[in-house]
Amino acid sequence: MEKFVQLVVDGLSTGSVYAALALAIVLVHSATGLINFAQGGMAVLAAYFAWWLTNQGLPLIVAILLSIVFSFVLGAAVERWLMRRFERGDPDTAIVVTVGLLTLITGIAGWLWSYNNQQFESLFPLDTVSFLGVSVSVRSIGTTLVIVAAMILLQLLFVRTKLGLALRAVAINPQSAAFSGLPVGRLLMVGWGLAAVLGAVAGALVAPRLTLTPGMLDNALVYALAAVILGGLTSPFGVVIAAWLIGVLENLAAVYVPFIGFDLKVAVPFILIFVVLLVRPQGLFGRKTVVRV
Amino acid sequence: MASSSKTSGPAASASTSSAPSSSALSFKQRPWVRWGAPLLLLVGLAVLPLVMTESTNDTLARIGVFAVAVLGLNVVMGYTGQVSLGQIFFLGLGAYVTAYGVSQEWNIVLVFALTCLIPAVAGLVVALAAARLGGLAIAMVTVALPIVGVPLAKRLSDYTGGSQGLSARFVEAPEGSGLYDDQWQLYIVLVVGGIVFLLTSLLVRGKYGRAFAIVKGNENVASSMGISPYRYKVLAFTIASLIGGVSGFLYMVVVQYTSPETMSFGHSIELLVAMVIGGAGSIVGSILGGAFYVVVPDITNAIDPSLTALLQGALLLAVLFVLPGGLVSLPRAVMRGLRRSTAGRGSAAPPTTPSPTAGSGSATENPETERQGHV
Repeated sequence: MEKFVQLVVDGLSTGSVYAALALAIVLVHSATGLINFAQGGMAVLAAYFAWWLTNQGLPLIVAILLSIVFSFVLGAAVERWLMRRFERGDPDTAIVVTVGLLTLITGIAGWLWSYNNQQFESLFPLDTVSFLGVSVSVRSIGTTLVIVAAMILLQLLFVRTKLGLALRAVAINPQSAAFSGLPVGRLLMVGWGLAAVLGAVAGALVAPRLTLTPGMLDNALVYALAAVILGGLTSPFGVVIAAWLIGVLENLAAVYVPFIGFDLKVAVPFILIFVVLLVRPQGLFGRKTVVRV
Repeated sequence: MASSSKTSGPAASASTSSAPSSSALSFKQRPWVRWGAPLLLLVGLAVLPLVMTESTNDTLARIGVFAVAVLGLNVVMGYTGQVSLGQIFFLGLGAYVTAYGVSQEWNIVLVFALTCLIPAVAGLVVALAAARLGGLAIAMVTVALPIVGVPLAKRLSDYTGGSQGLSARFVEAPEGSGLYDDQWQLYIVLVVGGIVFLLTSLLVRGKYGRAFAIVKGNENVASSMGISPYRYKVLAFTIASLIGGVSGFLYMVVVQYTSPETMSFGHSIELLVAMVIGGAGSIVGSILGGAFYVVVPDITNAIDPSLTALLQGALLLAVLFVLPGGLVSLPRAVMRGLRRSTAGRGSAAPPTTPSPTAGSGSATENPETERQGHV
């Protein structure tokens, strides 16, 4: 039982990382209608930036905060100078652009800091605490809490502020938003920046466990995409639930299903997807979209 | 065919091509050029392996292998407009099936049939689920194929040799032919790859190709015309997987070794980069893509291996910005640029899409360049 609870808590923490990336993907998709395959890559670049700052002698928390600012600028710049051109065009071309961006970012990180694994300091101590009679790691709880807090902040921004209202307006109908005087271009940049920030938070929290490599979040990207498919592109809430579900299920499957084990647990979300797609193609919580010719 | 075209050729070629009905045929449309050029290319390709050095033959053979893989990707992505990030998985699967079959000493024809069949069935199963969602879902699901495939290959070590991989030497030049192994391998790649290219170019220009193009253009229009986008997406993906399997067979012919690393995520992305840079939706572009896939890492590895990904990403973005049609559209873009600059100085002729009459020497007509490609 104790093992089971530990697995669930650890699963929730990795699930939170997937959830943050998945939310970033949903955020970008709702604003610009495309899937950003470079979302994980951008987060890795932010993590490298933080790691480089700590090597310059800055304390970890300052380095992470600076990397968050960096990734906001990075996300906005990518939207303005790279994606803007492809946003109104063919979504498949836009996907290829983001794949190119992923390759480029991986290449830059590998070229600047080599492809070797780098140790990234953890924000949380490696202790365990007693929780409901079982010991669970502080890092897992901390990761989950930080990401949940980030998601709540983001939700408040969207629901309670004028900026959030404008962002939602642009996401729902960019043309009408432009007609009512909103600076659509700048708001899209903000949307991409916020998505990059979410990714950066996830990257900084998961880097100590995975160790820093240019391809660190490739697997996490796959999980995040799985969560996006399962939860439905239109439902941020569903995506988070799906990400947690994936995180917990893959952990349980790795231990309790002998054939899967730790190396094959990446297949778990896709077995889930196959089942869900055959039963509910719009995702667990998504709405069916109807397109007019 | 070539002899009868002496008299009936001009009329036939004028009616089949999109040339204007004027009696003055351009250089490329003369019958002896239409039949002679492919023949010349065929003879050239037949002689080529005999005169090249061993390392050139090896490079050419690898280009052929990955040209076939890129061609498969082009069927699903370039022609049908469904982004697939998993094509390398089918190459790896085909390579494993070949290696396993050879190690069990099965008949090579049976092995080849299986390397077509097993990846095609795998692709069919994946597509049946993935194509149920909108277009982006195929990209989102197929990205998982290499990422699941690598640990799966390591796990099934009874069949795949685990991380060690499998090697299979089964292609040796027949005795008495006087050929070296590298020449024989290149011939196999040329023949099998040539047949795949021929069949694929027939496919994409025929009824199915038009259906693919409509699905790519607008799915709602397609379904209103009675063309099921779902069915054709699944079909395109299955064919792409089958071609991927064949490229895996050729991979084993040339490289003779496969490991889980063959189908890594990085390679899968490189294949997509190669396809876009070569030219999406183009037969010649697939060959250029195969060349890009093989040659660029060879060059960058000689300079600095850590630069490869950086360069590939930068090149892909540059191509998407300035040359969305890929390298295959370069001659046309150059011609258009030249014409625009001359037109700018002279009369104000608007830049139009190139017509066959524009210049006899310009290698801009797509069907013509494609015709040479699959010989």
